[in-house]
Amino acid sequence: MLPLALSDVAISFPGLAQPVLSIDHLEVPAGGRLAVTGASGSGKSTFVNLVSGLERPDTGAIRWDGTDITTLSESRRDLWRAQNVGLVMQDFHLFPGLAAIDNVLLPARLARAATAEVKSRAHELLSRVGLARPEQSVETMSRGEMQRVAVARALLRRPGVLIADEPTASLDAEAGAEVGQLLLELANQEGATLIVVSHDERLTERLDRRIRLADGHIVADTAMRASS
Amino acid sequence: MIRFVLADLRRLWAASLVIVLLVALATALGVAVTLQERALRLGSARAADKFDLIVGAPGSETQLVLSSVFLQPAALPLMPGEVLTKLIADPRVAWAAPIGFGDNFQGYPIVGTTTALISGTTTGFSQGQMFAREGEAMVGSGVDLPIGAEVKPMHGAAGEGGETHAESIYHVVGKLQPTGTAWDRAVLVPIQAVWHIHGLGEDHDHEEAGHDEHEAADHEDEAGEEHHHGHIDADAPLDEDFDHEVPGLPAVLVKPKTIADAYALRQAYRTGEGTRAVFPAEVLTGLYATLGDARAVLMYVAYGAQTLVAAALMLIAVIHVAQRRKQIGALRAFGAPRLAVFGIVWLELLLLVAIGVGAGFGLGYGAAEFLAGLFTAQSGVHMPVEFTKSDAALAATFLAVAALMAALPAALAYRQSPVEALRG
Ligand SMILES: Nc1ncnc2c1ncn2[C@@H]1O[C@H](COP(=O)(O)OP(=O)(O)OP(=O)(O)O)[C@@H](O)[C@H]1O
Ligand SMILES: [Mg+2]
Repeated sequence: MLPLALSDVAISFPGLAQPVLSIDHLEVPAGGRLAVTGASGSGKSTFVNLVSGLERPDTGAIRWDGTDITTLSESRRDLWRAQNVGLVMQDFHLFPGLAAIDNVLLPARLARAATAEVKSRAHELLSRVGLARPEQSVETMSRGEMQRVAVARALLRRPGVLIADEPTASLDAEAGAEVGQLLLELANQEGATLIVVSHDERLTERLDRRIRLADGHIVADTAMRASS
Repeated sequence: MIRFVLADLRRLWAASLVIVLLVALATALGVAVTLQERALRLGSARAADKFDLIVGAPGSETQLVLSSVFLQPAALPLMPGEVLTKLIADPRVAWAAPIGFGDNFQGYPIVGTTTALISGTTTGFSQGQMFAREGEAMVGSGVDLPIGAEVKPMHGAAGEGGETHAESIYHVVGKLQPTGTAWDRAVLVPIQAVWHIHGLGEDHDHEEAGHDEHEAADHEDEAGEEHHHGHIDADAPLDEDFDHEVPGLPAVLVKPKTIADAYALRQAYRTGEGTRAVFPAEVLTGLYATLGDARAVLMYVAYGAQTLVAAALMLIAVIHVAQRRKQIGALRAFGAPRLAVFGIVWLELLLLVAIGVGAGFGLGYGAAEFLAGLFTAQSGVHMPVEFTKSDAALAATFLAVAALMAALPAALAYRQSPVEALRG
C-alpha cells in the first residue's frame, strides 16, 4: 500500500509546443482509489507511464512512499516497478503459446522471483479471478478471461499499487463490468493503491476520487461517495 | 526463461525450422568436405600401408602407384623380368613379388601374384586356403564369389569389356579377410597363370605351338592389342621360382628388410637402367597436396555459404525483434529485467543455431559416409569417416561466432523502450 505524490511534473515530446502532461501537484493516499478520465489525447496514458516508472518526466518529482522514481536509473525503475506496481493494460499483452498459469508467472520467472510461494499464489489468484483451468492456453480464451489472467498477473507479486489503463475498453459491457468489479475487490483485499484510467462511468464512479485531464492538465478533481 | 524460449520457438516452428535447415546445410557443406578429404587421406594411406616399395618400368610414378596399390586399370610399360630375379636374390629384400594385371572377371580385376605377396599384405583367410595350383584363385573379401566358383578371365581391364580366354577357368579356393584396400575387390591368381594365358613365359611341360613366348618378353605393352592366346594348365603345381626366363613385368612389390634397405633399394632401382622405384607413401603425399588444394577451394565455397547464411540470419533476427517490439516491451513493463529480455532473444537465436550446427554435423557425416560408401564399393578402399578434436573446435567456433552475432539483436531488444513498444 503506497501513497503517491507528484510535484511540478511536466513532460513534452519533440515537435510538440506544449507539454503533453503538466501536473503541479497531486497526492493520493496509501490505499486510495483514483480514477483518471479525459478525452483521447489528453495525456492519460502518459500519466500512467510516468507514475509506473515506464517513462521519466522532463522535470518534477514522482514519489511513491518517499521513493522519487524519477531519480532512478532505467534498470532500477524496472526493478522497482516489478516489485511495487501491478499493471493492467487495454491490450492484455499475454503471450500466445503459454498457459494461463505460465502467463501469470512469466515476469516473475524472468526476474527469478518465482518461488514456490509465488507459484501457489498464482494458482490462488487465478481461481480468485474466476478461472478454473490454469493450464488453458491463453489464445483459446475469451477476451474477458484474458483480461482476468492479466489482472492475476498484475497482482502476483503483491504490488503496493495497481495501475490499469483502460482495462475494460476492449471488453463488452458485461465482461467489462466483471473485470472492473474484480479490480476493485482485489485492490481492496490486497490493500493496494488503485489508479484506473477509464472512460467507463460505471467503473470510475465507484472509486474514491476522479480527476479529469484536458491537454495535459488536471481540469477537474472530484471526490466520489465511497460505495464499494 | 528456457520454458518461454521453447514455447516461443514451438509457436514459430515453421520459421525456426527454416533457420535450423539453413544453418544445418551451410554447416554440413563444410563438414562433409572436411570429413571426406580426411577419409580419402586416411583410407588411401592405410591402403598403401603394406606397399613399401614398388619397382616398375620408367613412366609415371603416380600411375605405377595407382595401378599397383589401387589396381586402377591402365596400360603400364613393362620392365625386364630379370629385375624380379635380381630383387629376390638381393640380401636387402625380405620378399619381392610380381604384380601382373590385364584381365578381369565381372568387373573385378584379376591380379597375378605370388603367395609371398598375399601372406605379406593380408591378415589371412576367412574361408578356404591359398592357391596351390595354376588354375586356382583367391578372392578378396569384397568379391562376391563363393569358394568353388568358376572365374573365366576376360581380357582387358575391368569395365572395358573384351574377349574371354575361352579355355581358361580358375576355381576359387580361398577368400581373404578384409584389408580395407583395393585388393579386397581383386581376384588373385598365380602369376604363372597370367603369363600362360597371355602366352608368356617358359613352360617346360607344355610347349605351346604357334606362340612366340620369348618375343613377347620384349613387348612394351602387355595390355595392348597384341594378344598371345594361351591357356592355363589348371593342375600344374605352383612355380614360384623366378630365377630364370621371367617374362616382362609391369610392377614388383618389394618388402625391404629395414628402412635403410628401403632407401638403398630405391636409390639402386631408381637410377638403374630400365627401372623406376617409388615409395607409394611418398607419391600419395604429393597427391594429398593436390587434394588439399581442392579441399581449400571447396572450403572457401562452404565459408561463403556460411557467411551468407549468417548474414541472412542477422537480418531475420533484427526484423524479428522489430516485429516483436510490443511483446518485448510488455515483458519489461510487467516486471522482467532488461537482462532477461536480452537473454531470451540471445538464447532463442543461439539455440536455433546450435540445433542447426548439430544437425549440420550429422548431415555432413551422413553425406561423407554415403560418398565414402560409394567410393569403397567402386574401389574397395575402405574410407574411414571420422571426427577428430579439430571438428569439436570447429563446432565451438561456430557457436562462439553465433553467440557474438546473436548479441546484436539481443542488444536491440535490450535497448527497446517499453513505452514505445506498448503504445499503438
Ligand atoms: N512519444 C511521443 N511523441 C510525441 N507525442 C507523443 C508521444 N507520446 C504521446 N504523445 C502525444 O501525447 C498526447 C497524449 O497521449 P496519451 O497517449 O497520453 O493520450 P491518452 O489520453 O491516453 O489518449 P487515449 O484516450 O486515446 O488513449 C497525444 O497527443 C500523443 O500524440
Ligand atoms: Mg491512452
